[in-house]
Amino acid sequence: MPEPHAYSKSIRPKGEALVWFTGMGLGVGILLIAGLLAVILKNGLSMFWPDTIYQVELVEGATAGPTNGKDFAGAIALERYKRLQEEGVRLTREFQFFTGNKDAYGQMYHFVDSDQILRDASGKPRFTPADGILQLERIEFGDALGYPVAIDLADGSSITEPDALRSTLFETIEASNERLKAYTKIERQQIGRINSRMESIRLEQRALRDELGAAAAESSDRMQKLTAQREALQLKYNDLAAEARALRDRRAEDSVRLRLPSGEERRIGFDNITQAHFPNEMSLPDKVGFFFRQIWRFVSEDPREANTEGGIFPAIFGTFVMTLLMSIAVMPFGVVAAIYLREYASQGVIVRAVRISVNNLAGVPSIVYGVFGLGFFVYVLGGSIDELFFSKRLPTATFGTGGILWASLTLALMTVPVVIVATEEALSAVPRGMREAALACGASKWQTIQRIVLPASAPGILTGLILAMARGAGEVAPLMLVGVVKLAPTLPLDGAFPFFHLDRKFMHLGFHIYDLAFQSPDSDAAKPMVFATTLLLIVLVIVLNLSAITLRNHLRRKYKGDTF
Amino acid sequence: MERYFHKELEAIRSKLIFMGEKANEAGRLAVEGFIESDLEKIDAAFAMDDQIDALEVEINRDAVRYITLRSPVSSDVRLVFVSIKASHDLERAGDEAHSIAKRTRSILTRDGKINDPVAIQEMSRLAFAMLRDAITSFLEEDLELAQGIIERDKEVDRLNKDNFKKLSHAMNTANGEVSTQIETIIISKSIERIADHAKNLAEEVIYLLTGE
Amino acid sequence: MSQETTTTSQKEDFEPFIQIKDDYNFWYGSAQVLFDLNLNIPKKQVTAFIGPSGCGKSTLLRSINRMNDLIEGIVHKGDITIGGQSIYDPALEVISLRKRIGMVFQKYNPFPKSIYENIVFSLRIAGRNRRSELDEVVERSLRGAALWDEVKDRLHESALSMSGGQMQRLCIARAIANSPEVLLMDEPCSALDPIATGKVEELIHELKKEYTIVIVTHNMQQAARVSDRTAFFYLGKLIEYDITDTIFMNPKNDQTEAYVSGRFG
Repeated sequence: MPEPHAYSKSIRPKGEALVWFTGMGLGVGILLIAGLLAVILKNGLSMFWPDTIYQVELVEGATAGPTNGKDFAGAIALERYKRLQEEGVRLTREFQFFTGNKDAYGQMYHFVDSDQILRDASGKPRFTPADGILQLERIEFGDALGYPVAIDLADGSSITEPDALRSTLFETIEASNERLKAYTKIERQQIGRINSRMESIRLEQRALRDELGAAAAESSDRMQKLTAQREALQLKYNDLAAEARALRDRRAEDSVRLRLPSGEERRIGFDNITQAHFPNEMSLPDKVGFFFRQIWRFVSEDPREANTEGGIFPAIFGTFVMTLLMSIAVMPFGVVAAIYLREYASQGVIVRAVRISVNNLAGVPSIVYGVFGLGFFVYVLGGSIDELFFSKRLPTATFGTGGILWASLTLALMTVPVVIVATEEALSAVPRGMREAALACGASKWQTIQRIVLPASAPGILTGLILAMARGAGEVAPLMLVGVVKLAPTLPLDGAFPFFHLDRKFMHLGFHIYDLAFQSPDSDAAKPMVFATTLLLIVLVIVLNLSAITLRNHLRRKYKGDTF
Repeated sequence: MERYFHKELEAIRSKLIFMGEKANEAGRLAVEGFIESDLEKIDAAFAMDDQIDALEVEINRDAVRYITLRSPVSSDVRLVFVSIKASHDLERAGDEAHSIAKRTRSILTRDGKINDPVAIQEMSRLAFAMLRDAITSFLEEDLELAQGIIERDKEVDRLNKDNFKKLSHAMNTANGEVSTQIETIIISKSIERIADHAKNLAEEVIYLLTGE
Repeated sequence: MSQETTTTSQKEDFEPFIQIKDDYNFWYGSAQVLFDLNLNIPKKQVTAFIGPSGCGKSTLLRSINRMNDLIEGIVHKGDITIGGQSIYDPALEVISLRKRIGMVFQKYNPFPKSIYENIVFSLRIAGRNRRSELDEVVERSLRGAALWDEVKDRLHESALSMSGGQMQRLCIARAIANSPEVLLMDEPCSALDPIATGKVEELIHELKKEYTIVIVTHNMQQAARVSDRTAFFYLGKLIEYDITDTIFMNPKNDQTEAYVSGRFG
């Protein structure tokens, strides 16, 4: 007779393995995402940290380094093993140095094998921090690294005494930056205003000629008045241009002389310098301050040097505005479509087919939307708008070329299936009882939808918008066809009438990453920028999503019902 | 929470109290008629019996309806059942009053002489006090009063036995009319029965109030 | 047990207000759910529909305010009149019909709005937005639903912050806000605890002074407690219709007897 209470010896209940399996799936996913974020964070943020610059001495007869065997100074950017092909499996170490001085060395980054570097007593490559080295951030040619020798000022004096030299250096940079600001103000605002007025006079003159014929127009009062105005503006322009030129030229009159680590001496004009620091003499708080200042400059300044230097403000702004425009376009469009599909259309074969098509649209490669946007929005719609409203400016296209409006609409089209699907879900999740209650109160179907169903499904609709925004903000391929550019001279939103320039081309973080990573002449120099820009894009998407989620939670609380 | 149908329960209660008063009145009239040899009171007692019977039917019907439609529980359902039982007791008490009236009329129509009504008077005083108190204890939900009634029944029983001995002795000594003696015994017995019903009523009130 | 005829008491000593007549039949697509119904519902009384699940009592209730119109493929034969007017009259807008008929549902379903806005919903959608009128309606409806004292200090809080019983009474207040003639109740207490149920039943007892009430319930005790007349349905047919006392104490029909005594099936 068996024991009445014989327990199974197996301690593992059936199905437990599968539970572990599901947990593992989640674990792997989290690890991948965390790893990706960690890589982006580390590489992106390290760009802003002032690294120590080392003096590197090479062994006798070495050929490596920026100047073929001469000693140099640089920050260690990378240390790795490389496989030497000719010697089979032997591994050797190599270092990548950030050496700056692109004008002197051709490149900013250099690889050096470790066996070319002079070793210390313990046999390790010897790196001594370069004493008193100065890092100059320049408008052109990237950073300069070197030991300051003298500052030659416009009045002909030279300063060589080290302490005076330092203080003069920072003062001169500040004064020079002030002049740059004044110059930019004249260039951007005053000259810009004159230019736009001259352009409108030109267009009016052209219209007069079209209307009256060239000869008659030339002699008309109006035309003469316009010509006089134009000449007055031209004079004003000349004055301002001279003023601006003087400011610009004044900056170039001061210069600093550097002795490069490899020995030669260079002269750098202050018109080329934006910032200076002595990386090896900074304390930790100095470095932290510098770090945050650099981050701020990165997000607030315009790019330089084929986007590999400077900030990325226009790209952030462009991405933000485009995503916002896309949301404004996609919301009503998707919601209205979903309302018809879910609430009004009789649920037959056709509606099912439409629904399947909408779902499939979400899987169409995004470049296809780009091509469609180019063909339909830009050429057909934009072309027609130009014909109708901007014919005076033709053949220069206004809307008939890529711009932020068309890019937003293209992305809206791409993300509309997401919104439709989410909205349909949200609508169908509104409890039947609530609709019936509204109808029983004597509401019409539309009143029921408008006053009861839509507010109650708002959180779900917002979830759809969040997904759409996340997808739209990170999209690159279709944008390349419909308005994104490598470098946009103006922002889509500025102080000039009509303030919102929907026709303008714009910069975009996603495209910026692509451009830096694959189109940049010096990919090593662009690499930190790629990571930093990626980090920013992720932060931007997170910020957009968080604000939408906050809004959604607020609505959820408002419409929460434990009863359904 | 007071529910609208609790008024119906209240109505059953009032009917029962009304019925109790009627039964008490009927018995009192019959006994007074016997003691005072008053035929008018006897007739009045007869008339009341029909009213009492009608009330019992009414109370029973209301109780069944209440149970069916209102699904009462706890003290409500006890009240309904007590109403049915109490109405039955009161109806029986009414019947005893009817019986007293009948015997009295039989004596009086024969020109019989009612002798020694004192014992009957004393006994009926006790019995009707018991019945009245039982109704009062029901009306005022007075548990102590109800419990007291049960003890008081013994005194009525003793008086009844005394009456029986006295009257049967009288019969042995051929003192007076034998049939009158017998009918007086029966009347005495009826009063004793009324007291019993009063006791039953008291027990039902105790059950209603305590659930035991 | 197959009885094709309805057992009804011979004397109908009332003026009918809602009449289900001309052998009312109802189909969902090809499935017939109501068969040859003829039923007169008295004014300002409570009429209960009872019967096992799927007997068609809810369908009939929802036919009265044409709530079934929302479902595709419904067909009916026969007629329903309210106060002598056919609800299927083509000249009658279904929306204006529903304004004459308040409805309370099985599951309390307040809108995710404030208590105040829940009640004035039916006025707002009719374009009546005058503040003084709305205030008056809110107070009248809430008093009518015996809820005023409980919520008068928090009229602008969310209706979803109330207890279940309060929410159902709010739904009743909402249903009477438009001063309807008829109040339809589809198992109004099935989601409530006994205390709340008792309150709603008391309320029904009060409301019948002003409204003609039709209530569907699974709870026979409830039907017995609150209704004046009871109709027993089985498999889409009206089996017996009489005053409530008769249905529960002495039904004429064996099926009714079996159902009310729990011996059914």
